[in-house]
Amino acid sequence: MSLRVKGLTVSFGGTRVLDGVDLEVPRNAVFAVMGPSGSGKSTLLRVFNRLIEIYPDVRVEGEVYLDGADIFELDLQNLRVRVQMVFQLPNPIPNLSIYENVALGLKLNRLARSRRELEERVRRALERAQLWDEVRDRLGSPASKLSGGQQQRLVLARALAFEPEVLLMDEPTANLDPVNTAKIEELMVELKRELTIVLVTHYPPQAARVSDYVAFMYRGRIVEVGRAGEIFTRPRNELTERYVTGKI
Amino acid sequence: MSRRALVDKAGQALVVALAVLGALPVVLVIVDIYAKGIPAIARIGLVEFLTGLPPTPLDEAGGIGPALVGTLVMAVMGAAMGIAVGFPLGVYLGAYRHERLAAVSQSFINVLVEYPTIAVGLFVYAAMSLALPAVNPVLRALLGVEVSQFSGLAGATALAIVMVPYVAIFTASAYASVGRELWEAAHAITGDEAKALFVVLRKAAWRAILASFLIGTAKIMGETAPLLFTALGNDYYYASPHEYVTGPVGAVPLLIYYMAQTNYEVQNEVAYGAAAVLITLVLAVFVLARAASRR
Repeated sequence: MSLRVKGLTVSFGGTRVLDGVDLEVPRNAVFAVMGPSGSGKSTLLRVFNRLIEIYPDVRVEGEVYLDGADIFELDLQNLRVRVQMVFQLPNPIPNLSIYENVALGLKLNRLARSRRELEERVRRALERAQLWDEVRDRLGSPASKLSGGQQQRLVLARALAFEPEVLLMDEPTANLDPVNTAKIEELMVELKRELTIVLVTHYPPQAARVSDYVAFMYRGRIVEVGRAGEIFTRPRNELTERYVTGKI
Repeated sequence: MSRRALVDKAGQALVVALAVLGALPVVLVIVDIYAKGIPAIARIGLVEFLTGLPPTPLDEAGGIGPALVGTLVMAVMGAAMGIAVGFPLGVYLGAYRHERLAAVSQSFINVLVEYPTIAVGLFVYAAMSLALPAVNPVLRALLGVEVSQFSGLAGATALAIVMVPYVAIFTASAYASVGRELWEAAHAITGDEAKALFVVLRKAAWRAILASFLIGTAKIMGETAPLLFTALGNDYYYASPHEYVTGPVGAVPLLIYYMAQTNYEVQNEVAYGAAAVLITLVLAVFVLARAASRR
């Protein structure tokens, strides 16, 4: 297993957002977490790279293992290199060029030993995100000049440059048009050969298209987990069935 | 015209009148200073005015050279010190604004920004009196220099204290205005909080931060009160550059303060010319700050 979660509970102030979550995410698969707004999907995702800890008044209990290692014992810098994230809104760093946006994380974490290696990793990341051909002649241009879809692929390249083991994707196509959505979805299917993807979506058809496994969350709990085909064709739980058929 | 349209027009006219009334004093001050200052500069020539010594009552003309050097030296030193303290403080206030200690610190900073700057000068004067007897023997032994009670260092320290709250407040505001998406992106890129705050988010908010540095610098360049008990003033150039740090130094606002009060026309003229130079410098820095924040 790539990720293993046992009895995970997360509270903000006095409000419990995740309530005893147990989950196992297999390696080299797209694992979709779906559920209605407020079900705790994004919070769960932010536990995997401990991004949750930047929020005040948060309390996390339970166990999460990455490749067998307790993530709460791991060095945070190391964890965030191994578990990268793509967000709902494209968030390249303003005032930086396309190249610098991809290179910055590598520099900060000293992941490239030479300028040549840095350039090579930036190029490879842009190629993997299928953006290289569109930006190869303007790497020094501001990232803000790119279209929304390109910016999201740039952020994906930024994450891929780390060569992570796990890629967290928090509704990465929520603000994209169908063409760009299709590109990102194609990439997910392609990328799972090399890494594990945990995809949060509140759009069941997307989970059906790209995922191998699906977990359905409702009000901070996992209602049902299984292979995507089973969840969408033979859901065991009535809530799951109502969700995938668009009734909740 | 309907009554509603009439009220609308009257309201618009009132707003425009108030705007003009608000801008009028600033415009009049600028016009008056340039009207009297430019002829004073022209009489001796710009280069001579910017480099010459201030006039004695018996001279026919004079310049502001030593004062201009003093202002630039103290502005650079004061800005460096003010930014060194104000920037990290602002990052803390912006990044941890939900924490109690940050909220308390913010209240103190808000008080400091309104604090009488002459009191800052007095504080530095007192601090220098206490510190120099202990510091000077060490400086003499290590560098062969001593710092005077009145010095460029004292002046720059007072200016830095004046600048800190400006930089801190504007920086905190720049960090607080960074959206949640960028905040998360910065921390996702690195698990090192310091790098996320001081590298990634600094780059993200750089224009607003740069504007805060420039506004703070413009503010201290025009300060007079904190220099009265610290820099003191000096009408002559020093032979050694380090003396601008260790000895009493002139400053353009101080020169204006002293020369505007005398009964000698030549000194009054130089005061106006100096004011024109100072206003130009400060306005230039403000324009840079505006450009930095707008780009």
